[in-house]
Amino acid sequence: MSSAVLDQARAAAAAAKKRGAGDVRVSVYRTRGSRTEWRDGKLDRLRQSTRMGLSVTLYVDGRYSSNATNDLRPAAVDSFLDECIAGTRVLAQDPHRHLPDPARYAGRFTGDLQILDEASAQAVTAADRQRTAQAIERAARSGPGADRIISVTTSCSDRLGESAMVTSNGMEGTRRVTSFSIFAETSIRGEEGRKPEGWRYATSCHRAKLPSLDSIGQEATRRAMANLGAKPEPSGEYPCIIENVVTSRLLRGLFRPLYGNAIQQKRSFLADKLGQAIASPLLTITDDPLLPGGLGSGTYDGEGMATVARKVIHQGVLRSFFIDTYYGSKLGKEPTTGSTSNLVFSPGDKDLTQLLAAMSRGILITGFSGGNSNPATGDFSVGVRGQWIEDGKPVRPISGMNLAGNHLTFWNQLRELGSDPYAYSTIRCPSLRFDAVQFSGK
Amino acid sequence: MIHKLSRREFMERMGAGVVVASVPAVAAGCGEPLHTAPPPKVTPAPAAVPLGYFDRFGIDGAMLQRVLAKGLSQGGDFSEVFLQHKVSHWVGMEDGEVNRAYTTVALGAGIRVLKGDATGFAYCEDLAEPALIQAAGTAAAVANGPARAKPASLAAVEVKSAYHIEVPWTEVGIDQKLPIIRSANELARARDKRVIKTTIYLSDETSRILVADSEGRLLEDDQPMGVLSVRCVAEQDGKTETSHRSTSARDGLTYFTPQVIQQVAHEAVDFTTLLFDAVEPPVGKLPVVLATGITGILLHEAIGHGMEADFNRKGVSVFADRIGKRVSSDHVTIIDDGTNPKMRGSINIDDEGTRGQRTVLVEQGILQSYMHDRISAQHYKTDCTGSGRRQSFRFPPVPRMRNTYMLDGPHKPEEVIASVDKGLYAEVFSNGQVSIGPGDFTFYLKHGRLIEDGKLTRVVKDANLIGNGPEVLDTIDMVADDMAMYSGAGYCGKDGQQIPVGFGLPTVRAGAISIGGRTS
Repeated sequence: MSSAVLDQARAAAAAAKKRGAGDVRVSVYRTRGSRTEWRDGKLDRLRQSTRMGLSVTLYVDGRYSSNATNDLRPAAVDSFLDECIAGTRVLAQDPHRHLPDPARYAGRFTGDLQILDEASAQAVTAADRQRTAQAIERAARSGPGADRIISVTTSCSDRLGESAMVTSNGMEGTRRVTSFSIFAETSIRGEEGRKPEGWRYATSCHRAKLPSLDSIGQEATRRAMANLGAKPEPSGEYPCIIENVVTSRLLRGLFRPLYGNAIQQKRSFLADKLGQAIASPLLTITDDPLLPGGLGSGTYDGEGMATVARKVIHQGVLRSFFIDTYYGSKLGKEPTTGSTSNLVFSPGDKDLTQLLAAMSRGILITGFSGGNSNPATGDFSVGVRGQWIEDGKPVRPISGMNLAGNHLTFWNQLRELGSDPYAYSTIRCPSLRFDAVQFSGK
Repeated sequence: MIHKLSRREFMERMGAGVVVASVPAVAAGCGEPLHTAPPPKVTPAPAAVPLGYFDRFGIDGAMLQRVLAKGLSQGGDFSEVFLQHKVSHWVGMEDGEVNRAYTTVALGAGIRVLKGDATGFAYCEDLAEPALIQAAGTAAAVANGPARAKPASLAAVEVKSAYHIEVPWTEVGIDQKLPIIRSANELARARDKRVIKTTIYLSDETSRILVADSEGRLLEDDQPMGVLSVRCVAEQDGKTETSHRSTSARDGLTYFTPQVIQQVAHEAVDFTTLLFDAVEPPVGKLPVVLATGITGILLHEAIGHGMEADFNRKGVSVFADRIGKRVSSDHVTIIDDGTNPKMRGSINIDDEGTRGQRTVLVEQGILQSYMHDRISAQHYKTDCTGSGRRQSFRFPPVPRMRNTYMLDGPHKPEEVIASVDKGLYAEVFSNGQVSIGPGDFTFYLKHGRLIEDGKLTRVVKDANLIGNGPEVLDTIDMVADDMAMYSGAGYCGKDGQQIPVGFGLPTVRAGAISIGGRTS
């Protein structure tokens, strides 16, 4: 199948050139996906899809546009290209727009990224998905709190995707990837009409690497039960631990200002911090596009440049930005890559239980709600829920509180990373223990 | 207005290829700050949407009938074909030059079969009959018996449009958009010398949809949308701040009058530069007065999602079983409305073909009605409220909001503010989220002011507010007579689907809400 999408990409690139584009980059994708959603002993939704389409980045007379269509009838593609090329000619010229230096295409990783489990993707049937979803529900209803359950929703899904990229200055690449996901969500009867909910989700490129169905179902119900009777604590500065599975909400505010666009547009509190300490020396984060089995792994990036692992933060010092060819040219910097792939953290040696013991008293954050971060200043504020910890043990659930701070000081409060990097995400972050930070509550 | 935390994060974790936030200026969740404007007063005479758009793709009634029959072939109760052809354009300016454009074409069919409450859904991106039949066969598998019914003969239902435009966006070239973008840039630059960067875009969308179902209904709609967005970065004494404004309507190029462009450009600048005067927001609980417009996110999060009938049908909403009960004071009447002329969240028909309409959620403090799609209306044995919406043909519809707002109350905005000794005046929110079950919701304050001794004083910025929906509603005791709709590019995420929505609010006083400030 890869050759089919590659042929389509080559044909579209040739057609764009013929119709007036100077340079062109074409991506073609095709994805097949299925999902079974099961609720309270019954089939709820069955979903199946076949997606395909092409995107065309055009460089015409020093001008630029990027376009996508899934109407692949040959005549429709031709008129689409004509319209896009004509539209591009109306724009202002932009000397910074050009394809990557072909040297950046070279040296692509040739080993196995372990992101394809085609045999499982081909073998799985609708009946398998249904049995899986049913088994997860059984697990969700098997533990403590089963008598409080209002509703359990579970799902099982899989996807097989293939894509190809072709550029007019010599890059060609294909990628095939599978993903398998399982999910459970439990709603329970709480106090005063509240209905606490808990969920658990896992996704992996390999079906066999998913956690057990029992663990997904039981964890959803356990988390719902853990929220029972949650209330805010008084406002104050408390130590906290952020559970591995939820760290991404906070990390987004730290990573968005590392992008070339934010830096060049002066919307980045980190623009002048390269080479400086911005976090505790404990923090080392690598962007690793070649991570075996990584959900964000690939041998070339969104522009076709060969990927390599890069230290983003090394022992607290900012080492790298995410800069594509365009913003590299505008900033006068060498491009790195345009976006994150897999973020890998150097872990510590304690699991969550041991981290709780080390903190002794404070807040364990098990969920975030809403919130945002000011990219120009680093100020952030976000809703949290979790557990109040005394003597290293959860003693009562909390909700209705906010965590706020500034990224430049917040990450210096990091005291310890856990040994538990979350495996089912592109952000492989372990649980994080912080010294006193600002919470608002009742 | 991110819906349910859990489902959203679930979708985000699914990685590449999953649609998350579609408005580039927004970081997370639903919503987006915008300027406010009064609801349009003049209702244009509705024009009927012409039928037959999909003829050009080889679609005809007999073929739709065969696809619907295939959908029912395994014993389903109901089948439906949703066709969509959507053309979107985006033209942007950065560093003073309009030098980038994006065009997206999406064409496809979503086929749905219902068996009781259960849904079979498949989509394809090829409108040839074999692809449609195959997708219908896949969706049909939600049932597993012999066919029990045949689809009724299709009969066209006339759709009157509240957002007909003379010149569709598909006939507007980039050259006609350039003056609008340049004008917004010049106005922003001239507004304040501290502005060092502007990012401006004009985007538009033309979505043609067709709904045909086994009950014999055949409807088409033509749904336009235009958005102008201005983001500014300003510098003062070595500090930078950024904010933005947008405006949006189901309208054509003529929507962007000089007045509309000026308002967006000026507010984008003003909302950026006032941040230089901001002090740290307070920590902990304070009474909150909500200004008009975008603050309607409060309704969206605190009650709106909890009134979507799917959550109630499943029993998981904090509002389940509260119909007919008092949830707020007499002053509070809350509407979810698809009929506001040309407004962003308006729909002539929903994505199941039900007529767009106005639904009273709360009347004088009493909970009145959930928002229903076909499945929930059938479950509750009531009528659809025209709330079945979907992001595109790639998704099955679920109950969603349209334009959600509160009607005017008896108070004056000045007296509402003057009634608070020490509190927060919340002016612009950027995003929010709710957990349906506990009813806990958040909204992110981009900026507001402190209220001290009944007067508006210092600016505060960047604080998350967190409260409980039923508790906060219960504390709304003053409602002013100055309701304004938010006219910006708001959107809402639920079930992994993003859709355009509107909201509005008069000045209201709520009880104490927890404010996530920083101590300096």
